Amino acid sequence: MSRGPGGGSLRLRLLAGTLVWVLLTVVVAGWALGRMFAEHVERQFQAELATHLNQLAAHLAIDADGRPGLGAALSDPRFARPYSGLYWQIDVLADAGAEGARGQGGDAVGRPGALRSRSLWDVVLAVPRDLPADGQLHAHDTEGPDGAPLRMIEQVLRPAERPDMALRVIVAANAALIAEPVARFQRLLAIALALLAAGLAVAALVQVRVGLRPLARLRDGLAAVREGRSGAIDGRFPAEIQPLVEEFNAVLARNAEVVARARTHAGNLAHAVKTPLTVLANAAAQTRDDAPEAALARLVRDQVALARTQVDYHLARSRAAAAVDVPGLRTPLRPVLEGLLRLMDKVHAGRGLVVRLCACPEELAFRGEAQDLQEMLGNLVDNACKWAAGRVEVRAARLDPGAAQPHPTAHPAGAAADPHGDGEPGARTPARLRILIDDDGPGLAADAREAVFGRGVRADERTPGSGLGLSIVRELARLYGGDARLEASPLGGLRAVLELPLAR
Amino acid sequence: MRILVVEDEPTLAAQLAATLGGAGYAVDTAANGRDAGYMGEVEAFDAVVLDLGLPIVDGLTVLKRWRALGRTMPVLILTARGDWHEKVAGIDAGADDYLTKPFHMEELLARVRALIRRAAGQASAEIACGPLVLDTRSGRVSVDGQPLSLTSHEFRVLAYLIHHAGEVVSRTELTEHIYAQDYDRDSNTIEVFVARLRKKLPPGLIETVRGLGYRLACPQ
Repeated sequence: MSRGPGGGSLRLRLLAGTLVWVLLTVVVAGWALGRMFAEHVERQFQAELATHLNQLAAHLAIDADGRPGLGAALSDPRFARPYSGLYWQIDVLADAGAEGARGQGGDAVGRPGALRSRSLWDVVLAVPRDLPADGQLHAHDTEGPDGAPLRMIEQVLRPAERPDMALRVIVAANAALIAEPVARFQRLLAIALALLAAGLAVAALVQVRVGLRPLARLRDGLAAVREGRSGAIDGRFPAEIQPLVEEFNAVLARNAEVVARARTHAGNLAHAVKTPLTVLANAAAQTRDDAPEAALARLVRDQVALARTQVDYHLARSRAAAAVDVPGLRTPLRPVLEGLLRLMDKVHAGRGLVVRLCACPEELAFRGEAQDLQEMLGNLVDNACKWAAGRVEVRAARLDPGAAQPHPTAHPAGAAADPHGDGEPGARTPARLRILIDDDGPGLAADAREAVFGRGVRADERTPGSGLGLSIVRELARLYGGDARLEASPLGGLRAVLELPLAR
Repeated sequence: MRILVVEDEPTLAAQLAATLGGAGYAVDTAANGRDAGYMGEVEAFDAVVLDLGLPIVDGLTVLKRWRALGRTMPVLILTARGDWHEKVAGIDAGADDYLTKPFHMEELLARVRALIRRAAGQASAEIACGPLVLDTRSGRVSVDGQPLSLTSHEFRVLAYLIHHAGEVVSRTELTEHIYAQDYDRDSNTIEVFVARLRKKLPPGLIETVRGLGYRLACPQ
């Protein structure tokens, strides 16, 4: 398929568009979902830490010495397992009963790690120094006892029993507890989205294929029209294409109509001109040779003959020229040949002429107009019958390119008697029709065979005819990309060879 | 021998009638398909020259109707279009030959004569009956090689008899084939023509079949 400007493949275009869109959507959706999930996990994690913190605060008790202690162990067993990743710690920030400690270091923290979970073992969590207001929850990312990143929350409390005492309650957990489910989720999400994208791509492919199928059908229909198998594009098409098809069919119909009208006009003109010509010629013919107006009569006769030739020639030519480029023309050969042979049988019945159709496969068809085919074959067959002594044979065959082009003849001698039939130079169009018309008449000398294709040239003036027949045959054949020539016939007379484009 | 000329162009019709009349045929003319159809149905013609492009009813339709009604007279069609399609259609409709306009009158005459001869089952251009010979190409009659001088009516009677040699031909049939339609017909005049012919021909050639008509008896 050739791609003109603005061309390209519609399928590719649709596919590319869909795929880009799918990819974009999937990537954005993946990113958003991942973010949402991570946020959710983090919030939940934070909430969990807060719960632990609240639990810790609830269990927190200050004994009589002002030392903090836990009323009960925390429910989560991970607090008891060393380096489990979940830790708590209580720092004593300020103690009215231990003023020295505060004054000593000038540090806000009086006794860090006053109470710690077992999971911390002997490590004391260092808290970044930001001194939040009492009761405020603060989150920090730090490093844990095993060096793993840690998420911690802290809250400064003042126990009701000892309002002068500030305790910092800390709960921390490995950040991996957040990262892990997020990573797992994102892996799954990626796989799921990839599957979705693949599924969408396949669906798009199928959709484009199915959606564009009518176009393939349209192409087949057009090919059928071009090859002459059909006169119009058949069948129903989707609503988007049907108007196109109808327009195209209308153009085809209009073409055919224009040709038909041109033909009718040509015919009418022929009728209108030829009847007066007949009258004129006959009037002139009745003039005696010794009459005073004999010269005028001869002039009239000659000019009438000339006019007739011109009218015939130009009518046939213009008709053919109009039809040559019309697509969708297909004329089965056999009925035309049979019709002509019926005509010849009847017309030459008195002479005992045997006119035979020796070979003509049913499926052979001419890619062109029926009347032009009749014009060519009619002239050739008529010519053969005019000159034949007693026998005319017609045969037709398909001529494939590149093949050795054997003559489809029942007489093997035919090939030998054929001086230049196979050597015709020039490009051969794909497949052709070859029609051979043989007669057993006197034939023509090799050098005269070309000459009779000239306009107005007649081999013999005795037999009626305008001398137009052969020239118009060749002209028509060539207009259609075929050819016509004369050869010696194995029957002894002349063989007319007509090659024409084949309709599939 | 009686011929129907169907042609809508009056000058050409007149020329055709003149040519055929001059060759010894009785000629009727029709200028449109309706009249032609009617004439061909009810009258007896030995041949018809039929133009295909006719007003009212076209030539092909007229011809098909004749054939459908069993009218078998030979028909020569005239076509101006020169389409082979039209010629084939004409032959398929029942025509026996065609001529493409413009044509020479001699050609037309030769075709008409050949058609009439063929319709009578005569292969040769010369029809012989014993010493009597009719050359259909020239329209000359000779006895033992000696040309015979005949009036046009005598010629028509003899030509019809010789085309139907050996058959009994009734007076009515002769009348139908000898006069054009607008002619004042009188079957008694047939007897006059036959009597004159008998004087010019060798005796016994024209037999009278009592109550039926005449027969040209050719000695073997």
